[in-house]
Amino acid sequence: MSELGRLSILLAFLASCFAVGSIAWGLRTGMAGPLKSGRRAVWVVCGLTLLAIVILERALLARDFSFRYVAEHTSLDLPPMYAFSSLWAGQEGSLLLWLFVLSAYGAAFLWAYRKRIDPFYDAVAMVVAGVMVFFTSLLAFVSPPFRILATPPADGNGLNPLLQDPGMMIHPPILYTGYVGFIIPFAFGIAVLLMNRTGTRWIEEVRRWTLFCWMFLGFGVLLGARWAYVELGWGGYWGWDPVENASLMPWLVGTAFLHSVMVEQRRGMMKTWNVALIVLTFELSIFGTFLTRSGVLTSVHSFTESNIGPWFLGFILISSTIATALILYRKALLESENRLDAVVSREGSFLFNNVLFLALTFATFLGTTFPVVSEAVTGAKISVSAPFFNRVNVPIALALLLLTGAGPVLSWKRVTTSVLQRNFLIPAFVGLLATLVGFPFGLHGVYPIVCVFGAAFVIATIVMEFARGIQARKDVAETKGAMAVVSLVEKNKRRYGGYIVHFGMVMIFVGVLGSSVFQKEAHGPLQPGESLALGPYTLKLRGVENRPVANAQHTRAILDVTRGDKYLGPAYPAKAMYFKSQQPMTEIALRQTPAEDLYMILGGVNDDGSASIQAYINPLVSLIWVGGVVMVIGTLIALADRMRLKREEKLGA
Amino acid sequence: MPRPIVSRPAPAFAAAVALAFLLSGALAPVSALANESASGKKDPARAITSQLICPCSCGEILSGCTCETGKAMQGYVDREIKAGKSKDQIEASLVNQYGEVILGAPKAKGFNLLVWVAPFLATALGFLIASVVLLRWVRRRAPAMPGAPGAAGSDFGAGPSTTAEQDLDALRERAEAELKRFKE
Repeated sequence: MSELGRLSILLAFLASCFAVGSIAWGLRTGMAGPLKSGRRAVWVVCGLTLLAIVILERALLARDFSFRYVAEHTSLDLPPMYAFSSLWAGQEGSLLLWLFVLSAYGAAFLWAYRKRIDPFYDAVAMVVAGVMVFFTSLLAFVSPPFRILATPPADGNGLNPLLQDPGMMIHPPILYTGYVGFIIPFAFGIAVLLMNRTGTRWIEEVRRWTLFCWMFLGFGVLLGARWAYVELGWGGYWGWDPVENASLMPWLVGTAFLHSVMVEQRRGMMKTWNVALIVLTFELSIFGTFLTRSGVLTSVHSFTESNIGPWFLGFILISSTIATALILYRKALLESENRLDAVVSREGSFLFNNVLFLALTFATFLGTTFPVVSEAVTGAKISVSAPFFNRVNVPIALALLLLTGAGPVLSWKRVTTSVLQRNFLIPAFVGLLATLVGFPFGLHGVYPIVCVFGAAFVIATIVMEFARGIQARKDVAETKGAMAVVSLVEKNKRRYGGYIVHFGMVMIFVGVLGSSVFQKEAHGPLQPGESLALGPYTLKLRGVENRPVANAQHTRAILDVTRGDKYLGPAYPAKAMYFKSQQPMTEIALRQTPAEDLYMILGGVNDDGSASIQAYINPLVSLIWVGGVVMVIGTLIALADRMRLKREEKLGA
Repeated sequence: MPRPIVSRPAPAFAAAVALAFLLSGALAPVSALANESASGKKDPARAITSQLICPCSCGEILSGCTCETGKAMQGYVDREIKAGKSKDQIEASLVNQYGEVILGAPKAKGFNLLVWVAPFLATALGFLIASVVLLRWVRRRAPAMPGAPGAAGSDFGAGPSTTAEQDLDALRERAEAELKRFKE
């Protein structure tokens, strides 16, 4: 079977090369045959990659240790679900998954535009195929997943214990769906420049593809944060780790694009800027893979370090150089069609919003890469971690929060004083009131105050926008209550979907505020019968016990948890010693409520028999996860808006 | 010519006032938590360990690190505080022992000053450039051709500056048109 796997990868490489060459020839000569063949080759790559995945998965599930990859990442005692997810535990498997998602996007693109007879779409497919050439060549020649061991071991090395978490079953595929998907907007951008195309239809299509990938990337990032929260056992969910940052950066730039693209759609402006943002988003998604694989930075996520970093760096350099050269070459194509009426307008707010998103990206990029730069210049090793990012990124993020409220209520073109008064006075009053109410209860510090004001301000603007829209519908259609809301959203999914996304974002901001600024902690060694007090909770140690669980030995503390006088039940924070890796891992105990999480960790069992218990109260952390779901719902609503596209197609026809 | 402010602000205003009270109610427990947590935040050991990196290869912030090295380091910081050492003294002794890599963020001096200054300089520069670009766009403004992208009424929400009344008129017109289409 390994031969078949190797062959499928090699054929996928050849098919990718053929697709690029054939489509390029077809575009040059205008012949339909080569274009059609090139398109078919993209489908072939997708099929061959799927075949390779099936072969590797079969070997993983069967624990066929003659496959080197299987021997390195699984073991006989590994539960089948983790044997399945081992596909993305190592470098070769991750690259294979990457290629599969990429080729699936290629196939989905061809399917979506199968009825369009326009060489422009062939050019897009050619760019996708070009990226496929890079990934298939890596898998065929640099990092092949089907290497065979001359003497298969009796058992494998086992899976990294950190990856033995249910979240890891879906987090990487969802993240990859986001990361890799940015190839389509990138390919559109490059194709527009290559084919010297004008018009706005393509930009709406790019917006939809970007929105789709952006949703998956954002959700994948949140799933990663959730994984860190329950698996890493340090009480938090975001540590500004280089790999976390790498996933955040393309999301930030993608968000900037989703805002500025509206200016291009409505006003025919910021064209160069938007193409540059598309390119940057894609390059940053490749940069994330480079960071994970290269090993240049220390990360808790560096499961698959290797020597393929330079290949990625080379790809980033080449692709960004080509894109930059094309943007400069087609400068005239990207000239703005309109001029601005006034600085204070929605267009202006989107431009400043873009500055803030890029500033946040730049600060994250600089902080992530600076240890390498500093060591190269000064010769001394330094760390740039959460203390840096919290000081630099938080004020920029708060400015963005305020702009989230202001931007959507500014009119296009120009804003009059009356509009400003009408749209800002009440939200500002609500924000101020929320802040004032907070003071007597101990709200203090500039950032928390700005965050509370901003959150209330944004929510007030969203509610007012909904209220106005509902009023208008009531006046005409006499719809009432919830039906009026549904009807309103139904008629302008894009706009109100956007507001729902903003609402989800505010929930995340409030969740982060609650769980970071207001986090409480207690720790100490406990003998059986002793208690640890934390806020309203009391944790009483009943005892410590050892028990085998699947492929690990758990040493767990039994804590009786009470809140006030109410007994809430036992909790079992544990230390797991995995048989294969002999690595001690923290298994937290978590009591979740909408208001707060009680997060308990067993630090270890001391020589005197006491258990080191660490516990946190993380207020409002649930808002982060719920906010993520709300953002997904809002994005799905916005994605469902096909009316605009159809209208524009009619105009373009 | 801008028209007077709102003629029918009632629904939006009522919703906003209701929301204000709702938010105030929701924020009260949050703020109460802030009050409660003040004591937790004053933990001097945590104030130090939350700014340090575990010296083993795990790369985690020391305050949340559960590895053996991390726990030993947390114990060291606790002992030093009990011995009466200040935050600066403890940090200095750890930097002497492990190098500056143990600090969660580099000191803002020498070459490393760059990492602190550059993001804010870049943001300021970004705002400056954006402002200049916006002003240039405004100065070069040419009248939009009818039917051109961005011309009045070319898209929902676009068009001349609107007041609440105009917004409502536009929404009413849209709703009427949609209703008419629906009935057809």
